[in-house]
Amino acid sequence: MKKQGNLQYLLSLTVSVFAALVLGGVIMWLSGFNPIEGYQLMFSGAFGTQRALANTLAKAATLCLTGMATAIAAQAGVFNCGGEGQLYLGAMASAYVGARLTGVSPWIALPICLAAAILAGALYALIPAVLKVKLKVDEVITTIMMNTAAIYFCSYLANGPLRTTEKGISSGTDAIDPAFMFDKLVKRSNLTESIFITIAIALLAWYILKKTTVGYQMKLTGQNRRFALFSGIKANKLAIWSMLASGAICGLVGMFEIFGLHKRFIESVSNDFYFDGMLVAMIMRYNPLGIILMSLFFGAMKIGGANMELNANIPSSLIVIIQSIIIFFMAAEQGVMKMIRAKRAQRKAALTLRKGDAA
Amino acid sequence: MNELASIFNIGLLQNTLRTATPVVLAALGCLFTDHTGMMNIGVDGMMLVGAFAAVMGSWIFGSWVAGLLFALIFSLLLGLFYGVFVIKFKSDEFIIGVALNIFAGGLTTFLLRTLTGQSGTFHAEGGLSTIPRLSAEWLNGIPVIGPLLNDNTVLVYVSWALVIISYLLIYKTPLGFWLRASGEHPDSLRSAGRSPAAMQYLASLVCGMLAGLAGAHLSLGYLSTFSENMTNSRGFIAVACVIFGRAHPVKAFLAALLFGFIDALGMRLQSFQISSALTSMLPYIGTVVMMVLLVLRENAKKKKLAK
Repeated sequence: MKKQGNLQYLLSLTVSVFAALVLGGVIMWLSGFNPIEGYQLMFSGAFGTQRALANTLAKAATLCLTGMATAIAAQAGVFNCGGEGQLYLGAMASAYVGARLTGVSPWIALPICLAAAILAGALYALIPAVLKVKLKVDEVITTIMMNTAAIYFCSYLANGPLRTTEKGISSGTDAIDPAFMFDKLVKRSNLTESIFITIAIALLAWYILKKTTVGYQMKLTGQNRRFALFSGIKANKLAIWSMLASGAICGLVGMFEIFGLHKRFIESVSNDFYFDGMLVAMIMRYNPLGIILMSLFFGAMKIGGANMELNANIPSSLIVIIQSIIIFFMAAEQGVMKMIRAKRAQRKAALTLRKGDAA
Repeated sequence: MNELASIFNIGLLQNTLRTATPVVLAALGCLFTDHTGMMNIGVDGMMLVGAFAAVMGSWIFGSWVAGLLFALIFSLLLGLFYGVFVIKFKSDEFIIGVALNIFAGGLTTFLLRTLTGQSGTFHAEGGLSTIPRLSAEWLNGIPVIGPLLNDNTVLVYVSWALVIISYLLIYKTPLGFWLRASGEHPDSLRSAGRSPAAMQYLASLVCGMLAGLAGAHLSLGYLSTFSENMTNSRGFIAVACVIFGRAHPVKAFLAALLFGFIDALGMRLQSFQISSALTSMLPYIGTVVMMVLLVLRENAKKKKLAK
């Protein structure tokens, strides 16, 4: 039964993705662009060269992490919409610590920077988690509010008390020690050693969610809180811990951006990276393995989209439109399938009833 | 001390009204869907599309009326879209809301670039036709209230009227009764021969329309430009106001005014060499604090009742 459900799901997903791409092509055509040229540029921009492929992988890593962060919290019944803010604070904390530890051996400094990013992200996620669990304050609103607050706060720090004195830099914190920067795996690309940590986290998240008792308990809590409570699961504790983990991962994503690319905290450290990952997680219904695969596809679209904009002047925001169309299709499919199943069951029941009458 | 006193003046209250109005309108919209049992967090995206459509209408036809019409048409379409997905396809309203917000961000950015060739913030050559202000000289004679009532854009007055109309409609008419019943007791409504789905569709359309007006006020009343993601999560603040006001139009209106006051206060503080990034945080932190206080107060009430 379950296998059949998965197959059907894969089929719906394929159809949705294909239909969204076709719609995206229609939008390109209506806007006066050549869709075939657009998609060719998207493909070559994502896979054409070694550097492009590396960038696609790097993007996929970010989406995979933010997607996992969404999934971990959502599995335990908490919708963490605040990953963007947690990412910013993680980036800021690690950039600040990284700059202060200049000259220290990377073997000592890097773990401290990692800890700073994790702590900043996790603690910021703890606030809405406690508010939800203890006071039942809706976490969707609080986390969204805290996103904007965190982004403004980091902007204040980067332009105010923590602004660098370095010449020619108008905004941003002091640069971290170059020795702390992650090495690039492919020259002039965004792919750095942080991909290994990403892979480890993704596998760990998959293992915990799918193979451990804790993961199973989380799933039960997310599906039916009352039932979980009756079976003796400490739902509140699970919710808090999953939010801590979710925030910690987002903090790390922030750090990877700084220590992989920017060298210092800059205001444009993220551009809705968390929400991109959230879309991935929602499309894959919080399935860890699905998130890993879908982030590769979304990563390719993002990187390819940039190439499309550069060479054919097609705005890369088209990618956002295509991605949200995919989720619209998938969300509709879920409801429509449920309806069809209910109708089928109804018909079956009516049929057996009639048979009973005949007998 | 004198400086502190100078923060609190008529200008502050006028700014309160100005910044609160988009939130008031969006909150009124949300309130309708809330009563029919749908929490529409997609209202932020609907506002953004409304803001964009308003600017485009005003730019193309050179008239703010066309801008308003554009905003209404497009936000009604989005309202219908939301309704079809949540009611007809029975999709998860949270997922549709999030997706709608992301979709609105992508769509407006894409259209801004393809239609005008600009990005970031839109600059119309020769300026845009904005929503006019209504003023009457004699009103200024009345202290405090006079200047507040005077010289606001048309939509500010419309929003006040809508608060009262929404209250009457929801609580004093049969239609309002059906609306509320579709959220609380859909089965009873059905057995009374009315369709809960029809009520939900109506609420989705009204929500879209009001969110569109909210966006139009943001881009053609409060400011006179469109910039990418200009709603800055104001739609979510509107949802918070609905929760805070327990879906009552007057209470939600007051909550939105409180938000506007905090926002205006923040802007006023900027003239005291306080960083704008810090003061801009205020409404968002304020909203979280408001939501916590609401729960604490309710818990205290429950305790009292238990005793």
